[in-house]
Amino acid sequence: MNDFFLFAVLPYVSLVLFFIVTIRRYISTAFSYSSLSSQFLENRQHFWGSVPFHYGILVVLGGHLGAFLIPRSLLWWNSVPVRLVALEVTGMGFAVITLVGLVMIIIRRFANNKVRVVTTISDWIIYALLLVQVASGLMVAVYHGWGSSWFATNMTPWLRSLLFFSPDVSFVAPLPFLAKLHIVNAFLLIGFFPFTRLVHVLVVPNHYLWRRTQLVRWNWDRKTIRSPD
Amino acid sequence: MRLIHLSSVFPLLLASVFVAPVFAQDPPSEETINFFARNCASCHTIGGGRLTGPDLAGLTERRDSDWITQFLIDPKGTIDAGGEYEQRILAESRGVYMPPVPGMNAALAGKLIALIEQEEQKEKSQFAGVQVSDRPLTAADVKKGRELFLGALDFESGAPACVSCHTSASIGGFGGGNLGPDLTAVYSRLEGRTALGAWLSSPPSETMKPLFADHPIESDEVLALVAFFGDEAASGLEQSESQSLPFLLMGLGLAATLLVIFDLVWRNRFRGVRRSLIQEARNA
Repeated sequence: MNDFFLFAVLPYVSLVLFFIVTIRRYISTAFSYSSLSSQFLENRQHFWGSVPFHYGILVVLGGHLGAFLIPRSLLWWNSVPVRLVALEVTGMGFAVITLVGLVMIIIRRFANNKVRVVTTISDWIIYALLLVQVASGLMVAVYHGWGSSWFATNMTPWLRSLLFFSPDVSFVAPLPFLAKLHIVNAFLLIGFFPFTRLVHVLVVPNHYLWRRTQLVRWNWDRKTIRSPD
Repeated sequence: MRLIHLSSVFPLLLASVFVAPVFAQDPPSEETINFFARNCASCHTIGGGRLTGPDLAGLTERRDSDWITQFLIDPKGTIDAGGEYEQRILAESRGVYMPPVPGMNAALAGKLIALIEQEEQKEKSQFAGVQVSDRPLTAADVKKGRELFLGALDFESGAPACVSCHTSASIGGFGGGNLGPDLTAVYSRLEGRTALGAWLSSPPSETMKPLFADHPIESDEVLALVAFFGDEAASGLEQSESQSLPFLLMGLGLAATLLVIFDLVWRNRFRGVRRSLIQEARNA
């Protein structure tokens, strides 16, 4: 497929899908905006999946957003080698826990019968897309460093050109395969996002980040509920 | 084979029939001159000797316009499919293929050939070579070049620092980026000051061109970088050591630390009702 389709058409298709479907879904079935947690069904592996994944992805996505919004400050920070290495190692560390968490989540979905039953096709697709996304991002960081700098120099101008509706693919066309895979897969994720449980990202109460875990107690009598009548 | 060959060249032949007579008479347009300046002049002169690529004076005597057109449209394909001549020019360029030129087509190739023909007849072509100053380079130049490379000193045009995508042996730490090639030996690879200076004045590679087209490197900055790269080459090293593995190991170390921290922070996390009841009964 040619670069124009991948980097000047696909992003718009994905973004249009993202906005129209998320808004439509919120208007028509607002209560479907949920992460559909399966923590009730299994909570030990769940901890090692969910916690590292979420803290990892928040920091990594924050880094991408920073490079897009304040590229000059980022390049200034990276102009001292020690600072550059500190930033890259931090990114790498959080990316690794994202991958650890994601792999744990996927293993749990396969291995635990109760959890597998409540797993839908869209969940499997989103796990596959996320796995490609996180793995390709890690490989870019290892094989094509320093992404924090060249994101600011190459990716940001391209993303800005998309934002101002005059896409210029020349910034991304010469990038290596892994980087292109990471970009294309990101837009596939964005396009598929509104059809999945990932929409919980848009409604998450922020205090979830620091509130204590909830203890759920069943409010019914087990003996009566189990009896046939 | 013969049929395939002819059919692939035929559109080019047809185009050159229409294009060549028109541009052979007219002076080259400003657009063509600018195109040459932006896309060709960083590696080629017309009558000024070899830079990274060959001097284009006399090109139309060495090769016919069909060959040149085909080469401009697909440099790597033409070299790979070619014979002795193609292999020789590749060897002279130290095995580096000319990068594909964005927007190239038969009509544009015809205009460029006409431009080369007109320029080579002049006593001194406007493309006889980018003039890189030949004043002696000092330690201050090397220092400035190093700061520009690392980004400690900004390019006046706002161009990004080299270290974002390139490394070099002396910069220490985990080195620079590796999206682009290692520049430790670039001074000798491009055969010194003139070609390297011309290259930096208008970087022609696919990745750099869009970035530097609107943010060119000023001539005194080019000189400082040339001094820095000259100093790097004097170290005799071919390239810097790869730092990917120690970087990955540090990342893994941080990840392991984070997982331990999570376990400690949530050490009282809810693990199940039955389990804790059994544990309490055992302890009683």
